[in-house]
Amino acid sequence: MKNNIRIERAIKNVTQGDLANQVGVSRQTINSIESNKYVPSTVLALKIARVFGKALEDVFMLEDGD
Amino acid sequence: MKQHFLFPYWSRYLGWGLVIAHAPLTMIARYGIDAEDARGTQNLFAGNHLFFMCTALLMATGLFLVAFAKEKVEDEQIWQIRLDSLRWAIYVNYIILITSLVFINDTGHILQLNLWVPLLFFIIRFRWVIFRLNQSLSREG
Repeated sequence: MKNNIRIERAIKNVTQGDLANQVGVSRQTINSIESNKYVPSTVLALKIARVFGKALEDVFMLEDGD
Repeated sequence: MKQHFLFPYWSRYLGWGLVIAHAPLTMIARYGIDAEDARGTQNLFAGNHLFFMCTALLMATGLFLVAFAKEKVEDEQIWQIRLDSLRWAIYVNYIILITSLVFINDTGHILQLNLWVPLLFFIIRFRWVIFRLNQSLSREG
């Protein structure tokens, strides 16, 4: 699963730490998600999308192998 | 995230304290006063058994507290790493156990192995993955 959290963060000018605080996880987790090392749960994915005010599919998208 | 039961954060320090306290006690048992009269006694509450029980309890409780203490931020990724490390710890434990059952003709060590291998391996693997995560975080700034 890919995501464009990094781009959305840049648009909204939000740091990894801020985003982590808003969705209630550690900064490491946000970093792992951004670098595609960790696939978040549906709940966390929905929370992240809500912070950016976007639909889930605009932030997270399936890859060919999924 | 749904909260699962874990010990509070500070209990890891208590745990390490117990593990460290157990080491000199075991040394005393091995080389010190108990060694002579320990042999041959079968009584459940004989000095050597009681001593073994206490030191084993100290170590097992210590490792248990360290292994299942909360992280500062306990989130779903930490939980996943925890489960994954636990799975590896069970694999390693059983591989060692099965191999030693086949190749070593002494069953006394099995309790010892089971006491510390799974917990110790779990702790090492869990901390290693978290260390790697922190490293990649500081690399990316």
